[in-house]
Parts: sequence; structure tokens; C-alpha cells
Amino acid sequence: MNNQEATAYLEQLIGRSLRLYTSDSRIFVGQMKCTDKDRNIILALTYEYRQPSEATIRKTVESSGNPSAQVPLMSRYVGLVVVPGQYITRIEYEESQFSQGTVVP
Amino acid sequence: MADTSTNESSTEGDGEIKVTIGSAADCGLDRDSASPKQAQLPLRQVPQPIVNGGSKVWDITERFTQASQALKIGQLVKDEYFTLFESIGALEIMDPKMDSGFLQPGETLEENYDALRTLLPEEVLGIMDQLLCYEMAWHQGYPLSQTLFTSVYIDRLLWPEPRSLEEAQFYRGNPGRVTDALQDVLRAYCLGIIKSCDFVIGKITSRDYFEEEDFCTHTYNRSLFSKVPHDFVLHELEIAEEILATDVDDIDETVKAAINCRLEFRRNFLVALSPDYSINFLDKYWPPVSALLPAIESSHELARVVPDAFSTKIQRRLTSTVPPRPIVELEFKDAFAKLKQLCEDCAEATKYTFLDPAPEEYQSFLWAFASRKVQPSAYARSYLAGFVFAGDNEIFEGLLRDDLAAMVFPEDQVLDPINWTIDAPRNPLFPKDKRLQMASIIDDFTNRAVQNYVELWTALCQNRCRMRRMLCHSLLAFDQLQSDASILDDELQALTSDLQQYPLTTWVYHLKLRQIEWIIQLGFEQDIYLPDELAGMYLFLAKVAETRNRLLSTLLEFWEQRQKRLEKGKKVDVEKAAKVQEGKAYIEALLAEAVGTEELSAALSSLYTLLSYLHLLPQPPRPFSSPELRYDLRTKPFALLQPVEIIPFDTLTTHIHPFGPHAAPTSPSESIVKHLQQATTYQPIDASVKRAKDAFAKLKKLGPKAASAEGVKEQWSGRVQGRLFSCVAAGVAVAGLRGMAGELVSTADAEGKLRVEGVAEGEGEGKRYHEWWIVPKVVKL
Repeated sequence: MNNQEATAYLEQLIGRSLRLYTSDSRIFVGQMKCTDKDRNIILALTYEYRQPSEATIRKTVESSGNPSAQVPLMSRYVGLVVVPGQYITRIEYEESQFSQGTVVP
Repeated sequence: MADTSTNESSTEGDGEIKVTIGSAADCGLDRDSASPKQAQLPLRQVPQPIVNGGSKVWDITERFTQASQALKIGQLVKDEYFTLFESIGALEIMDPKMDSGFLQPGETLEENYDALRTLLPEEVLGIMDQLLCYEMAWHQGYPLSQTLFTSVYIDRLLWPEPRSLEEAQFYRGNPGRVTDALQDVLRAYCLGIIKSCDFVIGKITSRDYFEEEDFCTHTYNRSLFSKVPHDFVLHELEIAEEILATDVDDIDETVKAAINCRLEFRRNFLVALSPDYSINFLDKYWPPVSALLPAIESSHELARVVPDAFSTKIQRRLTSTVPPRPIVELEFKDAFAKLKQLCEDCAEATKYTFLDPAPEEYQSFLWAFASRKVQPSAYARSYLAGFVFAGDNEIFEGLLRDDLAAMVFPEDQVLDPINWTIDAPRNPLFPKDKRLQMASIIDDFTNRAVQNYVELWTALCQNRCRMRRMLCHSLLAFDQLQSDASILDDELQALTSDLQQYPLTTWVYHLKLRQIEWIIQLGFEQDIYLPDELAGMYLFLAKVAETRNRLLSTLLEFWEQRQKRLEKGKKVDVEKAAKVQEGKAYIEALLAEAVGTEELSAALSSLYTLLSYLHLLPQPPRPFSSPELRYDLRTKPFALLQPVEIIPFDTLTTHIHPFGPHAAPTSPSESIVKHLQQATTYQPIDASVKRAKDAFAKLKKLGPKAASAEGVKEQWSGRVQGRLFSCVAAGVAVAGLRGMAGELVSTADAEGKLRVEGVAEGEGEGKRYHEWWIVPKVVKL
């Protein structure tokens, strides 16, 4: 990929909703505002999601008696964040109703 | 390379915009099912979306990484409206100082306290009192995140956000669960606390306050039952009291009584905090709250603390931009004192509504309230401000007219209510009635001045430091107003000659001068001036007070003339004369205060000048400033005023530096000592002190009624007494210096023989007779 292609590819993702998985198993979902060569990504209007702890899962399973009981992810609003590239393990693009077909993933 | 395969599946997912990740399992499953499909197309890799509840998600890790690697160093791909400035505000994830979700190795995210565990009655008491401590810490200005929101119980009630009060339980979901009676009691108490906080925030934010300086209103995206009527919460508390009485029987009666009085307190406290009050019963709200306090204090020893029920970890779930911060610990003793004071201050504030409706009375009250020994908290100040600003600007226009009447229009035709009842002539060519013209001039003035006037009142309702700063702004507004007022004065003068000269200007100017005095004196109170600057600042104060003194003397003459003239008139006029005589006392009181201020400041200025030459005042090293620049800085708030009030630095120097700079006098040491030993040096100082004492004694004799401080008699008398004591202390200090001067050979000798106390920063706090008068104590060694 040359620089021009790369820039074009990344530019189409500006303002789009991304999910960033980090090395400590959190997920950040927000609108991409900015990125650079080191894959540092700035997200706006971000929510943080986190896997529930083992203890919580165990408790839910115990109390419901259902081994495949659903345990919701914990979420909270964190706003504008910068996720350093080194901690990003996975990037997902989330299509919204308004951006259908406008982004080449 | 550039494949366009997204359209093929675009029909599948529409509808929901809001994307939520349902569960961890969801994501994992979809990811697995997506990867085999990708493997089937090794040559032409088409990214496959993960379809999840109506939205599509693509894994773009690979391409994104490739693309970013192809960027140049320093190249940014960004939203064109996104600025570097904004990016500074972004929180850096994984940075332990910024990322509130970052966990240290082995650290767990959540506290593992079980909110449903059975509690001992003593523990319930302990939690209640701990919550009270945090509530008071919050009142002191700490954020909720470090105080009440560290409670696991409160967190359970508030999150996830309950749709009704019924839903706010320590267990969530699972309706109809049977709970322990004591749990119900604690829940009701917590609900009471939460609703109290809601009222407090509502009250404070409805008035002028300064976020984080006075108070933190941030609720971190938690709703504090704002929409729940407080009767519901009161009802919960009442039920809890019943439960306690009937369902809890196997516990110690003293503990039971202790819990009960806390519930009762919370109920009364909530009622008192409620924004819907009845003006007629205002004096009935706080006494029942205060009455329950002794019982709470005495039963605190029964409480058993439950430290685990509070955790900083809850902060991670709040909408906060900072990692958890430590809990603010306030001792029960201190918290209780705070609570007691809050109740006293609020009870005091309600007295405002029972005052004589005169602006001077109101202002005296505001001053007395702001000068209470322990500064009233942000809530108490807002509570009072709620009464002060209960009406709209019209009320203040009325107050402003009353204020004018009390100062410059004694029983004057200009403010005769008749003037406002006259209609304008139908024919515009007809001359307007003079009275109507007067009314419209006064209306012009009140329209113009009311905003500044309201701001002055607002300043008086602030905390002491803020009050001084706001007065500096208000001062400039009044300066502008003064020049505007003179135009209206000319118009008035053209209508009638029976007037105080320039009445409106006089009124504005007097208030302006008073504000200058307040600003300087609040500066003394707040230790803004260093000890070696006191001589200059007191000299400045003396000059301002002298100007006010002259202004008031002319005014008093006018009042006397008017009184005499009315006395000679008809019966109606004689009655008016009596009123003028009554009102005159107010001017006399103001005059006495101005004279006292002038004389005492002049005496202190001279005294500090002498002490400076003996090197008895602490003098910090100041390699980069000069006295002139410092003086400029100190007088900056007054620099733009017209007419000029500031003493030019050269004039000031001749007064306070008669022998050259204090540190390195140009005159020989012997001549300074000689000056110090002469009786003539002290005569004018003693005379000033005496005149000040006489003036304050006169003020005392005139009494609170004359000074329009009937509502706050005691505080007023205390403050006048404080001024009198300050005069006595100043006399003693002068005598002390004179007594020692004879033994001196050179100025350097003094340091070994004398010490000056009560002057250095922080030394005089709470020890002065009056906070505005820094009187040195000359101690013989």
C-alpha cells in the first residue's frame, strides 16, 4: 500500500465508528478523529466496555442455575480518548445506517 | 487490491443505529464464524462483516495496520475540524495517571462488599454516621466521587439508574424480594441523603457560586432522584421509623433510639432543605433539625464502623475523567461541628425575611452574615441569597429608590409617589408636568443603575475572597455610573432648586468610596498586604475615608437645613421634619464611621512608618521588585477611577518614607532616633487615635437603629466594640514605642529590645479585635 492509498483508506474512516480492543481486554467504541503512523487512534464520544470478572460470572450462573446465562458487559462513557497503537490488539469498523456502502473496510 | 465488496451485503442490516455489544459471548462467537469464510477465499480476500443485531462489523486490524505503516512520520490523518487543542483534552488509555479504567496487575475492578449481608444494628449506626461525615465533607467542597459516592449502598441505589423509587434497592432487579428490616431502614436513610444532596445542588446552582472554589456540583452522570417528589422520600423515612418500632425488637433500646433519631433528623433536614418553603413558617424549619443534633452526637459512640462498605473503586464506574482518588476522611467530631454550623447559619439566614424592609438593614445583615466567625458554607450562603434575590429586578429598583431616599432625598418632592401617577399631556407640544419629569429622571436612573446595584448585592453574598474580587469589578461599574448620573443630576437641577447638590452623583460616589474602603479593608482581613506595606495602605485608606468624610459632612448640612426648614412649615411639614431627623441619624452614623476609619488609619500608618525604620517589621527579600511597582500593583483596582483616588507614589513616599527607604535610610541613624524620641512625633498620632476613639464611641452611642442594623444588633455592637478596642490597642502600641524610644542609641538597637506581634501573615487570624484593623502589639524584650 502506498502512502496515497493508505491516506485515502484511513481518511474514509474519519468520523466512523470503530471498536478498539486493547491488550487489557477492554473494548473502546467511538468515532475516529485522528490517527498516525504509530497507529495511535483518537476516538470521540467513546464508551468503554469490559468483560465481567470471573466472580461475577460465577455468581450469575449460580444464582440463575443456567450455565449459559448471559452476563452483560460493563460499560461506561469515557468521551474523548487516545488509544496508543502499541496497546491495540484488534480494530473493528462498525457500519451505521448512514454510512452504508460509503466505506471500504 | 481495491475491492468493493461491501455493497453485496448492505441489504441485510438496516434499522438500528444504536449498536451495543450484547455480551462477551456474542462477540466471540461471531468472530469465530466469520474467519472460516475468509479462509475460503485466499486469493481475493473479501472482508466479511460480522452481523450482530442489525449492524455490520468488519475486522479491519490488518488493513488498518498496513495503512498506518504506510503513513509518513509526523503525518496525521484527521478530521479537518479536529484541532490539536482538542486532542490535548483526550485521555490517554493505559496511562495510569489518566486512564481511570487502568488496573494495576492483580487489582480488581470492583469492590467485593456484599450490600445484602445482614448488618448488626451498631453497624447500621456506623454506616449512617460515616455517610454523614462524607456528606459534610462534600458540603466543605470535596467532590461526591471522593465522599458519598464511595458508599457501596448509595451506589447500589443509584446505578443502574432506577426508574422509580421502588426500584432503588440494594438488590437490583428481582422484585418482591424480602429484605432485612435493618436493611430497609438503612435504605430509607440513604434515600434521604441522596435527596438532600439533590436539594443542595439545586439550591446552590440556582445562585451565583463558583464551581470547585465554593462547591462541587458534579454528579458524575448519576441522577439524584431529581424527579422524585420529596414527599415520597419522606414517606420512606416514616415507614422506616415504623419498621424500626415494630419489626426490630431484638436489639438494644439505646441503639434503636439512636437509629431512630437519625431517621428523624434526616426527615426534618430534608424538609428544611426543600426548595418549596412557606414564607410564613420559615422560622419553623431549622429548629427541629438543630434539636435532634445533641442526640446524634451523644449516641455516636455506639456506632461500629464498616470500612468495607466504602470503596474508591466505585469511582471507576462514574463518568469521570480521572482515576480513583482517595476517600476524603473527615472525623465525626469535625463533621458534626460542620453540620451544627450549617443548621445555625441557615436558621440565621431565615431571619433575613423578617427584617425591616430597608436596603440598609438588608445590607447590614449581609455583612453580619458574611462576617460570621466561621465562614458560612456555600449552601448557607446560597440559602440566604435565595431570600435576597427571591424577587425580580423590580424589587431592587424599589430598594434602590429607598436607598436614594435614605441618603440624598430626605422627604423630597423628587421621590414623592404622586409623581408616578401623573399622565403625560395628550398634546406633545404641551410642556410636561415637572413632577412627571422628575419621575422619569428617577426611572432613567434606576433603570441604568439597577444592574450595578444588583451586582453589588451579589458580591455581598459571596465568600470573603470572592466578595473582594467582585467588589473590584462592581467598583468600576459604579465609576461609570457616576459619570452617567451627573447628566441626570443636571436635568433634575433644572427642574427644582430645592435639592442636595448633585444628589444622584453624591449617592453613587458615596457608595463607590465605601466599596474602595471595603476592598482595602478586606485586603487587611485576608492578609493580602505584607507587613511593610501596611503603612502605605493605611495611608491610602485614610485618604479615601477623608474624602467620604467630606462628602458626608456636606450631606449632613443639607439634611440639617432641610429639617430646620420643615420644622418652620405647616403641620404636615413638621411631621416630615421628625422623619428627617430620624433619617439624619443614619447619615451621622455613616459620618462617625468614616471619621473613625480615617483617623485610625492615619494613626496606624504613622505608627507602621516608625516601626519600619526600626526594622521591626518582617521584610521578605524582594530582589526583583521596587516599592513603586508594588504600590502600582496594590492600587491597580483603583487606577482607572475618576476622580483619581490613588495617592501618587511621590506623595506617598514623603509620608511613609520621610527618611528615605526603610531598609537603607538616607538620613543618619541618629537623626531618626532623635525624631523617635521627640514628643512632637507622637502628638499627632495620639490625637488621631483619640479622635478615632471618639468617633467610634459616637457611633456606638448612636446605636444599631441609627446605623440601620437593628436586625443584627449584637454583631453590629460587637464590631463597633472591636473597632473601639482596636483604637485602645493602637494607643497602647504607640505608648509602648515611645516608652522604649528613649533607650535607643541607633535604629539597629531596637531589634534586641522590642518585638512586634500580630502583624506577620497568619499571626493575627482570629486574634484581632476587628479583622479590618491590623494593630501591632509592641512587646518589650
